[in-house]
Amino acid sequence: MIQLCSNDDPPVSFTVPRKAVELSKTIKTMLEDLEGFDMEQTPIPLPNVDAPTLELIVKWVEQHQDDPPPVEKPRVEDDDSDDSDADDDQEPEVVIPEWDKKFLPTDDEQKNQLFKLLNAANYLEIKPLLDIGCKYVADKISGQTVEWVRDYLNMENDYTPEEEAKLKEEIAWAEGL
Amino acid sequence: MSVADLKAKVARVQAKNDRLRRTLADFNERIVCGQLTGKLPDNFLEQFSQLPDRPLEQVLRFLPARQVFQMRHVSRRFNNLIRKCSKTMPKKGCQREVVFQSKHPGELSVDWFDDSGRKVSRRTTMVAGDEVALSELLRFIRFGGWMFFGEGVSAADKVLDQLSKAWLTIRPEVVVFSGDLSQTSRDSLRAFLAQVQPSIKQLKFQFASNIGDSLLSDDVIGAAGRLNGLMVLPVRGSTLRDVNIGDQTMLSLVDADHVSSFFFVTGCSGVTPVGIRAFIEKWMKKEELKPDGKTFSFGQSLEKCVLTFDNCANVTKAAVEEACGDLIKKEMIAVPDASSFDDSGEMSDHPCFTIDCPSTYRRLEIHFQFYSFISQNVEGPRFVTDDDSEPDIDDSDDDDEDDEDEDDDHDEDRDDEDDEDSDIY
Repeated sequence: MIQLCSNDDPPVSFTVPRKAVELSKTIKTMLEDLEGFDMEQTPIPLPNVDAPTLELIVKWVEQHQDDPPPVEKPRVEDDDSDDSDADDDQEPEVVIPEWDKKFLPTDDEQKNQLFKLLNAANYLEIKPLLDIGCKYVADKISGQTVEWVRDYLNMENDYTPEEEAKLKEEIAWAEGL
Repeated sequence: MSVADLKAKVARVQAKNDRLRRTLADFNERIVCGQLTGKLPDNFLEQFSQLPDRPLEQVLRFLPARQVFQMRHVSRRFNNLIRKCSKTMPKKGCQREVVFQSKHPGELSVDWFDDSGRKVSRRTTMVAGDEVALSELLRFIRFGGWMFFGEGVSAADKVLDQLSKAWLTIRPEVVVFSGDLSQTSRDSLRAFLAQVQPSIKQLKFQFASNIGDSLLSDDVIGAAGRLNGLMVLPVRGSTLRDVNIGDQTMLSLVDADHVSSFFFVTGCSGVTPVGIRAFIEKWMKKEELKPDGKTFSFGQSLEKCVLTFDNCANVTKAAVEEACGDLIKKEMIAVPDASSFDDSGEMSDHPCFTIDCPSTYRRLEIHFQFYSFISQNVEGPRFVTDDDSEPDIDDSDDDDEDDEDEDDDHDEDRDDEDDEDSDIY
């Protein structure tokens, strides 16, 4: 068993089976590098994850610890010289499993909890969780107006009116596609 | 155990502890990613906009391509992110036709057509200025189908170079150059053909004007890989100089995946009767078939391979007959006189050479008449002609006039071609 500590003061710690915690690539690498130390006795502090989020993470990894490992696809780097074989640039298919649908904090008041979860999944490199979370957000945003998305993602419109007009013109041509 | 032993043991344990602590600290820094160490400000993570780019990028990937354009409006950061990752993002497919035209100097218009031939979008950009780069416009789109370089210097180096950028997804099956090629260089053309090589099946220089000296040659055409069809036909009245397309290009056409293929060239002195014989032999050998000279029965679809040589210095009827007479037979076909290019052209008989392979429904034809070019293989983009009667889907008013003018032009083009077709068949 491995202990994980939240960033709260005082920290809240969770005890998680090693197999489950290794769904996080970050922690898995760390445990591998620390081979030889008795990690059972050493709590791992996670300075960017608070207790409610860590609780969710722990719940998720415990549920999914027996999942078959995801098929790794090499990430294509953004490089002009890159001879990207664009033929396989198909939309990645992600289906949110039933359990995860109930698990994700999807109420509107819980929006920020969802974002914290995504943030943590990103830092901890839990790719499947990140994928389903992002898929959920994308489905949510899909078909919504720019204003709605801005509000939903807590983003500020930092364009000047002139820039906005220019951008609008730039984008208009693609509307019909 | 002595005190010294105990001290040594304590020191070892402490050293081990220190090492462990240091390693843990390293990992913590890695987890925090950057300047944020120690205690985080309250509510820091509640700002989704503070998320690293990766989750946002992932969200964008799941969005319909069409909406991604609009999302550029959200904020600067979002816009930059979209631009950054658009190269690898799923692209909006455009499977039908893309037409490039340059009606005014320095200006390029790009029209997209949907599956029913309806124009769905038009974008005009400056070729010369770098205001909006062409590749910028195309980064969200996956091309397929036809790519047509129409009026004006629409295939200028500046255009081709941008299209050749490796990360653009350009997969046309048919590429037609029918504009002014005075600003098109060998290198840019070759790079472009190499870019479309995985998908291109037919390459046509169709009534193109100002084809530069030595623009076209075996090695440039070779960059397009395996073609099913090649047409080199300059605009009427112009002559080609130094077209180095020869037997090599012609012979590579035998390897076409598709049995129906064509090789229409004009003014190519590089093609020789010996090459034609090699072509015929290769074509016949392709499926270990021997011609038996029987004619086809109607109702069977036949795969036709057509070679047409117009004004090719080394390829005359007599020369071909001499080189390949034992393999081919002579037929007379009625085609309009080459001298008249209008609808009332006089029909007259011209000889052509043929080989039939009835067992596999294959036929090879060799023509020497310019007019043989005008067949079903000569077509422009298949514009819908009744746009006027339909509700206009292009809702930007300033575009409407242009559209109408342009559609009229194309209507005429299309009519001409239809008439020509019906004259022959």
